[in-house]
Amino acid sequence: MNLRSLSRPKALGLLLTAFVAVIAIQMIRIQTSTHAAYLDKWAQNYGVEVRTVQSERGYIYDRWGHLLAGNKEVYEIGAELQYVKNPASIASAVSTLFGVNYDASYDAAKLVYEPSNMVYVTLADFVTSDKLEELINLKKQYEAANPYGENPDLPSLRGLTWTAHLQRTYPENELASNILGFYTYYDRETGKGYFGVEEEYNELLSGTKQKVVIKLDPYEMQEIPSAPAAASLVLTIDREIQRSVETILNNAVTKNKAANGTIIVMDPETGEILAMAATPRFNPNNYWTYGDVFTAGISFNKAVSQVYEPGSVFKVLTMAAALDTNTVKPTTEFVDTGVIEVGGWEIYNWDRSAWGRQTMVGCMQHSLNVCLSWIATQLGPTSFYDYLNRFGIGHRTNIDLAGEEVYPLSQPDDPTWYTINLATNSFGQGVAVTPIQMVMAASAFANDGKMVVPHVLKAYIQDGQQFSTATKIAGAPVTAATAYTLTEMLAVSLEEEASDALVEGYRVAGKTGTAEIAVNGQYSSYATNASFVGWGPVDDPKFIIYVWLEKPKSSIWGSIVAAPVFRDVVKQLVVLMNIPPDDQRFTLQAQ
Amino acid sequence: MTQSNERTPRKTHRTRAKVNLTQAFRQAPWRNQVQFVGLFLLALVIVVLVASVYLSISGRAAAAGLRAYSYSLERQDLERAIADHKSQIANLTSSAVMEQRAKDAGFQRIDPSQAVYVLVPGYAGRQPVVLAAPPGVSNSGISLVKSAYRQSLWDWMFSGINRLSDSVGGSTQ
Repeated sequence: MNLRSLSRPKALGLLLTAFVAVIAIQMIRIQTSTHAAYLDKWAQNYGVEVRTVQSERGYIYDRWGHLLAGNKEVYEIGAELQYVKNPASIASAVSTLFGVNYDASYDAAKLVYEPSNMVYVTLADFVTSDKLEELINLKKQYEAANPYGENPDLPSLRGLTWTAHLQRTYPENELASNILGFYTYYDRETGKGYFGVEEEYNELLSGTKQKVVIKLDPYEMQEIPSAPAAASLVLTIDREIQRSVETILNNAVTKNKAANGTIIVMDPETGEILAMAATPRFNPNNYWTYGDVFTAGISFNKAVSQVYEPGSVFKVLTMAAALDTNTVKPTTEFVDTGVIEVGGWEIYNWDRSAWGRQTMVGCMQHSLNVCLSWIATQLGPTSFYDYLNRFGIGHRTNIDLAGEEVYPLSQPDDPTWYTINLATNSFGQGVAVTPIQMVMAASAFANDGKMVVPHVLKAYIQDGQQFSTATKIAGAPVTAATAYTLTEMLAVSLEEEASDALVEGYRVAGKTGTAEIAVNGQYSSYATNASFVGWGPVDDPKFIIYVWLEKPKSSIWGSIVAAPVFRDVVKQLVVLMNIPPDDQRFTLQAQ
Repeated sequence: MTQSNERTPRKTHRTRAKVNLTQAFRQAPWRNQVQFVGLFLLALVIVVLVASVYLSISGRAAAAGLRAYSYSLERQDLERAIADHKSQIANLTSSAVMEQRAKDAGFQRIDPSQAVYVLVPGYAGRQPVVLAAPPGVSNSGISLVKSAYRQSLWDWMFSGINRLSDSVGGSTQ
C-alpha cells in the first residue's frame, strides 16, 4: 500500500488504532506471561497485611495532672533474613549492646530465608532509644567500611531492623505503687493490669484490640484503621501529699522497727483518697520483682487487702452507737472497778488497773476496755451489731482498688458468736477490719453523720471528654448531732491527755488503738497493732487520717508510736492543703 | 420481445428518474470515507480520553492511597513520640526530681506555723485538673471537611434541588 495514497485522517486513524492495539496486546501479554503467576502470588502474599491494632494504654494522672503511669517508646530489634549478610556480626552486636545470648542470636540470624514462613526473627525487645542509637551508629560504621555487606570478611549489620512500640512506664517509680498496681508490659500480646488501679480499671485502660486487614494495593490503599484511644484516668491522689505520707510512713516504720505500716488520708466529705501509703512497696517499672517484695502472706496494699484486729480505734464506733441511741451521754458516769464479767469471762483494762469514776470522755481518753464493754452490754447485742453493720463492718467498702478483702462479722445468730464477743468487739478485739473499712466508718463522724464510699478515681477521659465521678454516700449510721458530740469528746480527750497527736494551731479529734496480735491462738502482749484514727479541723473536717503500724518494737502502744505519725501527717497536710490555723481561718472567714 | 422491449424503456425511465433523484442526495464516496474515519476517530478519541481520565484518576487515587498509608504511619510515629515525650517530661518533673531541685535552689519544707495565709477575693483555690472537655462541650464530632468535598455530583445536585425547594416553600414535613 502506498502510504502517500493515505489521507491524513486515515493515517491518524491507523496510528491511534495501532496505539490502542499495542496497549491491548500489552495487557494480554501481562496477563498471560510467565510472570503473571508470580505477580498473582505476590499479590496474595503482600497485597494485604493482617495487623493487630491496639489502643495505646491509657494514662493515669494524679488530681493535678501529674503523670503517674504513661507509655514510653522502645524498640524491637530483629533480622530480615532475606537481607542478612553476616549473621555473626549481627549476633555480636546485639549480644554486646543488649546483653542477649550470642549463640541464640547467631542461630536465629543465620536461619535460611523462606518467603512462605521464615522471613523475620526477633533478636531483642524493649530496647531503649539510647541503646538503639548506639546500634544505628555501629551499623553506619560497618556500612561505610563494607558497603552493602558485600565483603563477607568484614562485619555488616545488613538485615538488622528495628520497630518502635510502647512500653508502660511509671515516672514516679515507687510512689503510689500500692495504689497504681502494675501492667505486665513484657507480655505484649496478653499483658494486663494487676492490683490497684491497673487491675480495677484494666478494661478502660486497655481500650480495644482488633485485627485489621490492610490492603497494600495502591489502588485500594486506605488509611490504616486505628483503634479508638483508651480511657485515661485522673485519680484523687495528690502526688505531693502521697510523697509526704510515704516519707513519714517509711520513717515511722524504721524508727519504731515496725514490721509494716499503712497510712490513709481521705477527704471525709467526698470520699476522695488523697494519699494511701503502705509498706512494702516496689517499683512497678520492674514488676517482675513482685515475688521478691511481696512474699507469702504480704498483701500488695495492706490498706485494702489486709484485715486485722484494730483494737481501741474501734471504740469510736461503740461510743457512737451508744450516743446515737442515747444509751449514754458524754457526761454519763461509769465507775471502773478494773474488771467486768461478760458471758462468764472477765474483761480487764489495758493496764489491768481500776480507773474509778469516769465520764464517757474519760473512758475514751483512757481507752478503758471495761467501760466500753459495759457500754456494749447496755446497748445490747442487737443494737450494737446493727450499728456495726451500719458502719459497714463485715462488708466491703467497694473502693475502686483491686483486691479488697473483708472479714465476716460474727453476729449473735452465728454459731461462732459467743456473748463474750459483745465485750471484746466493743474495744476492737475479736473483730477484723481493713484500714479502709475503718476510714469509711469514721468518715461519718467527720461528715455530719454521713459515711462516704472511699474512691481513688476522680475522673476518666474517654473520646475526648472528661467524665467526673460523683460522691457516693454509703449511709448515715449516726445523726449529725452524734457525729459532733463524738468529735468533740475525742478532741477534748486528746487535749486533756496532751496527746502526741495534737498539732499546734489546729484542733483535731482522734483515737489511738493498741491491739494484741493472736499468735498460735493466744494473744501476745509484746506483738501489737498500733493504730490511730483522727480527723480535723474539728469545726470543718477536711481530712481523715488512719495510721497503722504493725508490730512496732520501740513501743507496743498506739499512743506512743501511731499518734506522732498522725501529727506528722497533719503538719504536712495542712500546708499542702492550704488549711490555715484555726484562729487565722476564723479571722479570714469573718472577713 | 416487442412487448418486452416496450415495457423496458418505461421501467428504465422510472429507474433512471429514481437514480437521478438518489444521486442528487448521495454523498460523494470520499465524503463517506471521511465521515467513517471521522466517526471512528471520534470514538477512538473518546476511548483514549476516557482511558486517560481513568488512568489519571487511578494514578492519583493510588498516589493518594500511598500518601494516606504514609501519613497513617507518620501519625503512629507521632503518637508514639508524643507518648514518649509525655513520659520524659513526667520523669523530669517527678516529685523526687522536683523536690531535689527545690532543695538545690535553697527551698525547704515549712512548718505550719511559718505559713502566711492571705485572703484573695474571688480566688476559689487550686482546682483539680481538667484534661478534656466535659460531656456536651466537645466539638470533636463535627467534621472539619466541608460537605462539598464529601458529596457526589448527585448528592450535590439533589441537595441543591432540596434547598431550592425549601426556599420556595416546598419543604416537606
